[in-house]
Amino acid sequence: MTGLNGDREAVERLVDAALASLEANRARIDDLNVYPVPDGDTGTNLTMTVRAVADAVDHTSAASRHSLARDVARGALMGARGNSGVIFSQIVRGAADVLGDTDAPAIDADATARALRGASDAAYRAVRRPVEGTMLSVIRELAEEAEARAPGRPPLGELLLDLVRRGEDALARTPDQLQVLKDAGVVDAGGAGLVELVRGVASAVTGEPIPEPPPIEEHLSHDAIHQELSQFRYCTVFLIEGQDLDREALEEKLEQLGDSLLVVGDPSAIKVHVHTDDPGAALSIGTDVGTIDRIEIANMHEQTLEREERLLSLVPDAPPAQSGVVAVVAGDGNRQLFESLAAQVGPISIVEGGQTMNPSTADLLRAVQSLDAEEAIILPNNSNIVLAAEHAAANADRTVEVVPATSIPAGLAAMVAFDGSRTAAENAKEMREAVAAVATGEVTIASRDVQMNGIPITKGDWLGLTDGEPVAGGSDFADVTYAVVERLLSEPRELLTLLVGRDGADLDGLLDRIAEAHPAVEVDVQEGGQPHYHLLLSAE
Amino acid sequence: MNLTAQNTAIVVDSTADLPDAQAHYPNWRVVPLYVNFGTDSYKDGVDLTAAEFYERLRTSPELPTTSQPTPADFLAAYEELGAYERILSVHIAANLSGTFQSAGIAAAELGDGRVRTIDSESASVAVAMLATAIQRRLERGTTDEEVNGLVERYLREHGLLFTVDTLEFLARGGRIGRAKAFAGQLMHVKPILSIREGEVLPVKRVRGNRKAFQEFIDALETNTRDEPGLRVGIAHADAPERMAEIEKMVRDRRPQATIEMETVLGAVIGAHAGPGTVGCFWFADD
Repeated sequence: MTGLNGDREAVERLVDAALASLEANRARIDDLNVYPVPDGDTGTNLTMTVRAVADAVDHTSAASRHSLARDVARGALMGARGNSGVIFSQIVRGAADVLGDTDAPAIDADATARALRGASDAAYRAVRRPVEGTMLSVIRELAEEAEARAPGRPPLGELLLDLVRRGEDALARTPDQLQVLKDAGVVDAGGAGLVELVRGVASAVTGEPIPEPPPIEEHLSHDAIHQELSQFRYCTVFLIEGQDLDREALEEKLEQLGDSLLVVGDPSAIKVHVHTDDPGAALSIGTDVGTIDRIEIANMHEQTLEREERLLSLVPDAPPAQSGVVAVVAGDGNRQLFESLAAQVGPISIVEGGQTMNPSTADLLRAVQSLDAEEAIILPNNSNIVLAAEHAAANADRTVEVVPATSIPAGLAAMVAFDGSRTAAENAKEMREAVAAVATGEVTIASRDVQMNGIPITKGDWLGLTDGEPVAGGSDFADVTYAVVERLLSEPRELLTLLVGRDGADLDGLLDRIAEAHPAVEVDVQEGGQPHYHLLLSAE
Repeated sequence: MNLTAQNTAIVVDSTADLPDAQAHYPNWRVVPLYVNFGTDSYKDGVDLTAAEFYERLRTSPELPTTSQPTPADFLAAYEELGAYERILSVHIAANLSGTFQSAGIAAAELGDGRVRTIDSESASVAVAMLATAIQRRLERGTTDEEVNGLVERYLREHGLLFTVDTLEFLARGGRIGRAKAFAGQLMHVKPILSIREGEVLPVKRVRGNRKAFQEFIDALETNTRDEPGLRVGIAHADAPERMAEIEKMVRDRRPQATIEMETVLGAVIGAHAGPGTVGCFWFADD
């Protein structure tokens, strides 16, 4: 191998090979894409960009090397898709500028080194704030490698194979350079595309077929399997143990079930990996010839969802909390609502308790001191607990504010205003305002005979209260509840929240009645699970 | 050099959500981004109107992706504006999209220093209203220094608040930023968000839409004076009734303000914020 003609056929051959290599890896590269912005898909965008270069080469009428290079650069620019495609177009341009002006009859190691340096410089220039661990670092290392090797005048094919190795090495280090990649457990997508392009070019020059990724032989697990998009649903992996196992025969049978097939091992143990819609059939092929073991079947569609969640979790977490919340809550549903409102906003510690189960000052103090936050806010959520909360605040090892919410719904309204990155005092101000803006009510069973506005309510009847005062009573749950709702909505309100208690509440007719009388009010019904109160209500 | 609307052109991208800008201003061009549903690729606002996009979003089994204009797209627009001595190219935040980068490469490709690219560090009406503020100056004659001063003041002083029905769209597109803290909450919790230096930021959360709009207006009142130079823009993603509600509140509390723009969030921003998104932008100019 002496070098490469700078003519159009040679360029065509190289571009086609680069494109083929990239297309074979397009889906895999798409899946790597996490940085800088997932604007489109890296593999697809790079493929489209290289395709545009191929089209430009097909249609060029260039008569000189110089104008051919210009047409190639122009083609890349015109067709650049996505962020990676745009940077790639500059790599092409940088290389084309150098090669177009080379007088040598054939491209040699020296010209390659200069072309890669031009490509690297052009790519860095295109990006306002270059970041290492991306396509940029890969192209730069390719240039450095070529420059280091060029004085030894290696044959071009040999140099290109070395460049593939250096590119793979640079790519493998991208997670060490860019935390977002490390967290995602991926290498840079644009860099991966670039390596595949070089691999394609190298194979065209050496005449060797594009090498397969290294085979996986030991400890095959789901994590080790490259995540490629598959039309099949189940990733199926198992081990077949037996005697005189015929690897090729197994491969032939399994091939018909799906794709991404790997059948590796020796006549006594063979590991199978296949993407298929029928994992049962794959396993049967195994049990026909031996015993099967270490079966792993994963739903890849779910894996895709998991991957999305993983990517979401990469976004930096909120800074450490300035303040956290201690909330006294009864009922599993209510506990979940408090926790959901604190999730990712700041720490929360829930103390079980309420109407007939008042936590002690010591309980509250323990909760305050367990918080991973410099300051704390206590939401007693019951008038009987406010005093204990104040004692806890006075005796705590840190600044504590008590926001005297006296019901669960008022406490929830306060939680919406909570932000752990603010101080307790700042939070307390906003949370008190939120509590003040909410009207609350409850529906329970009268525990003794009471007089209300001259009407006697018998023990065991339904009793409706707003802001702690009895407003309705009687034997019909819906009527009593509706009276409470009317009272809560007597001022203009937007949102009515109903927290259903542990003993349940029949809301069917009631919700229709509310919707009819107050069409503009949104109604939010949640399972609160609190004891004693069949229904807790709030309007804001 | 005296910059005028006769010698200076303005280029925006389609995320400015002003699809008919060229009809109003002969010296403007809008370069579209791309919206892809599977393998079907559309030019935002050209092949696919906002209304068509939201219809498609409701019925399509796959979610759309977007991609920035190619440098060639910008180059074509710049070349088409060859009769202008200068071009100011105003774009969506470089942190949110590669659009600004494509424009910069095209400007460099042109190589004659005619094009100046401006990163709005924001999106949608915020971009459109920066561009119209520049246009007002062009129409009475301006200088590079004055435009620089305007852009600096705009970056410092403009206000933008918006709220989304769900943070899923921002999360899926990788643009949720620190607003992730508000993700996945029950109980009609609405996140109030802003964009600063191209990052989506959480501001606070409230329950219910009306409370959210109230927050917009409270912020508007705190940060502005009631004067005709106060310019307000409102944009919505398939939620005209919400925009109307905000407009009414703005007119009520800032009766002298100029409501300069009311627009539908186009396909690209719509794809990343999701239907139901509504935002309010303000900037005190002259």
